[in-house]
Amino acid sequence: MSPRAQTWLVPAAVLAAFLGIWEFAADQGWLRPIQFPPPSRLADSFIDLATRGFPQGITLWTHAGITIARILAGHILAVMLAIPLGILIGSYPLLDRATSPLVAFCRSIATLSLLPLALVWFGTGEASKIFLIGYGCFWVMLSATIGAVKLVDPVLIRAARTMDTPQAEIFRRVILPAAAPRLMSGARVALGVGFMVIVGAEMIGTIRGLGSLIMEARTFYRTDITMVGMLCIGAFGLAITTAMAKLEAWLIPWQARVEGQPK
Amino acid sequence: MIEISKLSKVFANDSGAPVLGEVDLSIAPNEFVVLLGRSGCGKTTLLNLIAGLETPSGGELRVNGKKVTGPGAGKGMVFQQGALFPWLTAKANIAFAAINRGMKKDAADALALELLALVGLAAAADKYPFELSGGMQQRVAIARALALDPEILLMDEPFGALDEITRNEMQDELLRVWAQRRKTVVFVTHSIWEDLILADRVLVMAPRPGRFVLERRIDLPRPRRRSDPTLVALYDEIWSHLHGGQV
Repeated sequence: MSPRAQTWLVPAAVLAAFLGIWEFAADQGWLRPIQFPPPSRLADSFIDLATRGFPQGITLWTHAGITIARILAGHILAVMLAIPLGILIGSYPLLDRATSPLVAFCRSIATLSLLPLALVWFGTGEASKIFLIGYGCFWVMLSATIGAVKLVDPVLIRAARTMDTPQAEIFRRVILPAAAPRLMSGARVALGVGFMVIVGAEMIGTIRGLGSLIMEARTFYRTDITMVGMLCIGAFGLAITTAMAKLEAWLIPWQARVEGQPK
Repeated sequence: MIEISKLSKVFANDSGAPVLGEVDLSIAPNEFVVLLGRSGCGKTTLLNLIAGLETPSGGELRVNGKKVTGPGAGKGMVFQQGALFPWLTAKANIAFAAINRGMKKDAADALALELLALVGLAAAADKYPFELSGGMQQRVAIARALALDPEILLMDEPFGALDEITRNEMQDELLRVWAQRRKTVVFVTHSIWEDLILADRVLVMAPRPGRFVLERRIDLPRPRRRSDPTLVALYDEIWSHLHGGQV
């Protein structure tokens, strides 16, 4: 067996064994279906959700599409705000000292505790959901950007200054690309936060989206649907994070060699 | 022409003696001056002051009669670690400076290729710094410093991180480039042989406060041989100043 096959086969075998034991335990009546619906039941639910939908007519794909669109909207808005602000704060130590308690404070507020406020400020429509996701992503991205800027090798900035580079150009042509690898990993962490916040953000005021699917299923004691919804969020999260890592490698080809290489 | 009088530098929150005492120095156009000393003797601080990257605590610093107020403007700099931008190819690193000067991209690229050829790296134009060896990176850094066609080339231990063989090759390379593009060079090193091979004039520095303790002209033609008795004698003299009780 090639090493490459091993890296796939071994985890796959572990997963298969896990599912097999679960199915067997449910079949023997050791697990209650309402608490732990067996994998075969989940597979049926998945097909049912993918074709007929729940509530009737809204398929899993519609839910997923709406959820992903909300996450991306909140995430992109947050990143676009956080990067310029973070570069500014990270570049001026005084500004950094002045704002760091506020950043730590806002970052520590659990995003979902803002749900009632978001409803008051933005109503029950899309805006409140995108706000919540954006809020969660923003502080993570802001901290990541500030850190990334502070870690830019000062000799690069000195080199740029000896080449008559105006300050605005130093931000754009030196600090931004030098910080890019850390900005990308910050954006990935922020996206993870978006996926964590989404279920809560979709709890109120909508019947579309994976979060609302999960909550809606609860009221009908459909644990199977809740589980399929969770699995979908996990799968999409994994897929998007992997895609971002690929994008990162393509956008910043120098990164892999820069990090960890003796200078 | 660089004129320095009573120049000093004290770093804030540094209670000890000034990093650089009151030093006087005059460097003629196209002169190759080497500042030599152990770490902490203020040689890099002096270089950064000339570069305009640091502001003096006292004294005067003029280049061509004009007071130095900041970096750039005719002062190219090569740093110890190259300080190339890792996200740009060798060519784009060199073109970076030219684009700042308002040069069109095509012209900047053409200039970059010409300078890469000058430092013997024409084939590496599209390589990223991480794909280049330490010596090659320093060649690109030298080409980049030359891109603004500066009158003065400031070099901060540019070969300090290289192995000895590469370092010797780079010294020859620098002298070859210097012969073609005559510049005033201020070169900082802690290698005695390096200054003997390169310099028109050596200034040996000592710390606390940073000051000159020995000044020697070397009028030998280049390339120089290490076995040259004049150089060997100079080596011993400089060594005794660096190592002995006279510092």
